[in-house]
Amino acid sequence: MAAETSVPASEEPLIQVEKFNYAYGDHQVLFDVDLNMHSKDVLALIGPSGCGKSTLIRSINRINDLVESARVVSGSIKIDGVDLYASNVDVINLRRNVGMVFQKYNPFPRSIFENAVYGLRVAGIKDRHDLEEAAERSLKSAALWDEVKDRLHEMATGLSGGQQQRLCIARAIALQPRILLMDEPCAALDPIATARIEELILQLRGQYTFVIVTHNMEQAKRIADRTAFFYKGKLIEEDDTMTIFNHPNDPLTESYITGRLA
Amino acid sequence: MKAPASTSRPSLGSLLLKKQQRPFLGIDKQRAIRLFFASNSSVAIIVLVLIMLFLLREGMDFLPTYRHELETYRRAGLEFCDIINRPLAEHQALCSKLRRAASASLNTLTHTARTRRDAAYELMREVEEETRLQRAILSDALAQIPAASPEKLTRLRQEMRAATTLAAARLQTPAALTPEEGRRLQRELTLLNPEVPELPPLLAALSADYIRVDREAHATFKPLVDAVEAFEAAPDALHTLLDAMKKHARETKAHVTELHGSGKEPSHSKPVDFDLSIVPLTSGITELTAKVEEYTLLAQKTADTMPAAAGTPQAVALLAEMRARLPDHLAAMRQAAASLPAWSHSKPVSYLEVAIAFFLGDAWITNSSWQDFFGFVPLLTGSVLIALIAVLIATPFSVIAAIYTNQFASEREQEFIKPVIEFIQAIPSVVLGFIGISLLGDAIKGVSEWGWLQWIPSFPIQERLNMFNAACLLALMAVPTMYSLAEDALNNVPRSYLDASDALGATKLQTVFRVIVPAAKSGIAAAVLLGMGRVIGETMVVLLVAGNRIAIPDFSAGPGVVFQPAHTLTGIIAQELGEVSRGSAHWQALFMVGIVLFLISLLVNWCARAFVRRFELAKS
Ligand SMILES: Nc1ncnc2c1ncn2[C@@H]1O[C@H](COP(=O)(O)OP(=O)(O)O)[C@@H](O)[C@H]1O
Ligand SMILES: [Mg+2]
Repeated sequence: MAAETSVPASEEPLIQVEKFNYAYGDHQVLFDVDLNMHSKDVLALIGPSGCGKSTLIRSINRINDLVESARVVSGSIKIDGVDLYASNVDVINLRRNVGMVFQKYNPFPRSIFENAVYGLRVAGIKDRHDLEEAAERSLKSAALWDEVKDRLHEMATGLSGGQQQRLCIARAIALQPRILLMDEPCAALDPIATARIEELILQLRGQYTFVIVTHNMEQAKRIADRTAFFYKGKLIEEDDTMTIFNHPNDPLTESYITGRLA
Repeated sequence: MKAPASTSRPSLGSLLLKKQQRPFLGIDKQRAIRLFFASNSSVAIIVLVLIMLFLLREGMDFLPTYRHELETYRRAGLEFCDIINRPLAEHQALCSKLRRAASASLNTLTHTARTRRDAAYELMREVEEETRLQRAILSDALAQIPAASPEKLTRLRQEMRAATTLAAARLQTPAALTPEEGRRLQRELTLLNPEVPELPPLLAALSADYIRVDREAHATFKPLVDAVEAFEAAPDALHTLLDAMKKHARETKAHVTELHGSGKEPSHSKPVDFDLSIVPLTSGITELTAKVEEYTLLAQKTADTMPAAAGTPQAVALLAEMRARLPDHLAAMRQAAASLPAWSHSKPVSYLEVAIAFFLGDAWITNSSWQDFFGFVPLLTGSVLIALIAVLIATPFSVIAAIYTNQFASEREQEFIKPVIEFIQAIPSVVLGFIGISLLGDAIKGVSEWGWLQWIPSFPIQERLNMFNAACLLALMAVPTMYSLAEDALNNVPRSYLDASDALGATKLQTVFRVIVPAAKSGIAAAVLLGMGRVIGETMVVLLVAGNRIAIPDFSAGPGVVFQPAHTLTGIIAQELGEVSRGSAHWQALFMVGIVLFLISLLVNWCARAFVRRFELAKS
């Protein structure tokens, strides 16, 4: 199943990564990454373990700020022209607008409802009615509503793994972010749950800009408009998913997608 | 495929079988090793069981012993006397209220005169103090048997005069005296001399003035003063009769204990015939009832004739309170008298009564010439109240410190804070005890005297050593335990919760209070409980600092109750166990207290474990 190119190249990119160098202490993990991501695109990041995919997407919502040794060496990431690492950026607002879903599903040990509305609650929304509406909307978007609508006030940790991950997606989209970052969202799930998540991403596509890290080539082919291949902290090439998988430019890319790269 | 016969390798099948081992003392080696390790770990369990058995053995004897004591208490008639004696204690309380009301009233009239007189006395005392040396020399010289030479006396008199003049010149006139009076007193005081026995005239005048005013005040408040005296005297006749009965009962009891004490062979001398010895008491019931009736009538009459007016609003309130409490007291007295005929010295004391007397008894009285009571409630309330206050103080500190180190502090701060807090544990509790006695006690008392804090109930406080003081120190001792455990609990919160919360745009504070603390709450609750366990079992600090008053704290003081002294379960054991004779009821009572303490600790620990278990269940 091929994903079609949906964005004309002329449009201004939503996320611009420019000459981005990133390090944990003295250990540099990203080298001169240049990457543009367009609005409403689904971009897949692929590459062998340890090549810095997670580091890159964790730099986009600055969740890596929590890691004490992590630092930007040089270069910048801009969203809508705003340099994310400038001192005048409000990190809290950045995170409200750039949602994230983690590899290991991590709902809070509270009720399903409380999980779904957590982001709204911390944003200061108290009105019960608004919260209920938002919970329903986001759970519906995450295709979870029918499964949980009768037990919204039970512990989220009682759901199956796939449901928990979809709850995490619901929790992220409850804030109506512009961008959704997903770091191997299916890595901890079985094939059926994986298929449901992929279906969900395909449904949501066009509403959000997705950046998805994946180890699964087939998944990238199924869901991504564009694919970027990383190797040892460098962006080797980024192109239309079809082009990357059928006519890769770089021999490294080719050996990776054909499985010849360790 | 078979192995070639030439090789020495054993067949595969034989390798799969267990090797035959030589048994060691009939047990094979693997089992022996297992047993060795098992026995080591079971030592702890065995010791625990032994301790429990020992405690139980010593303590369980308490019930029969105490039962026997209570039985003697009944047989000998002490209980009989207490039926009337106990409610009569309220009379004392009411008397003290009346006395306070009367003295407050008198004070309104005599206050000025007394302060003036006292101020003048104070000045004289100052001069005497300043000239102490000269006085002593002069008095010695005067008292010398071959009289000192007149020249020497003159010189000494001159020196004395010079010293008094100097001292008097330095005096400040206190506010109670007018400047004119101050000057006059100064003048008179320069003449102060051991040879002159009279007071300085002004002082004498002030004194006389006070006496006059005081007499007038007594006249003014005569109805009140008389009423107080009459009320105090109301139970005199009752007391006389009761005292005679008490004396008789005590003698009977002394006889019994003597028989028991001397070699446990009552057959030698005649056993006490309780039926006979009780007669003087039971035959006096009518008289006693009559005396009680007489007292109630008398008390009621004085109360009725007592004026409602008094010198101060406070005094009026005291009178009103006394009047309000009197009917209950008198009713209790009458009821007590009415219950006398139903009392029987031969009624056996049941174990239930003994258990109630111990577990619900409100008095712990030992070495009494009358009767020992081992009531557990005052000690329990002391221990529990102190522990609760301590935990209430320690919890916010340790939990907030744990949150800070776990969530906000840099690595270097963590390396500093953790060992410092854990170091508190190394302070010997006796050292904390004398900090409480010497420093904290004065500090708390001092603070309680600050004017703008007087809205706090029961400020200024009376006692330096009180439950609050002990609780502060115990809180300090509990902080390391609670802090470490709370920190562990926070540490156990999966990091992914933090990431998730942050990624949803929560601030640090929101993450901490909406995600991390709730996720760690069972662990924190367990930390608090274990801190409580630590505090309840602590002995030295409470023994030194809690004030050791064996009485149920007066909860009518509201939250101010925490500033009262109290005794504790641990403190009483430490204090009294060394002094009692082995095997006596008192000794066994202390073991009983030990058992209950042990059970409380067990319960607290068990609860903490239950919390932790729930926490772990929720996590998985
Ligand atoms: N918190 C961290 N501290 C130090 N080094 C890290 C940290 N996270 C990742 N790294 C290092 O950065 C490199 C890139 O890691 P990551 O971005 O997780 O790669 P990927 O997601 O592509 O597998 C790896 O060498 C990893 O060891
Ligand atoms: Mg990764």
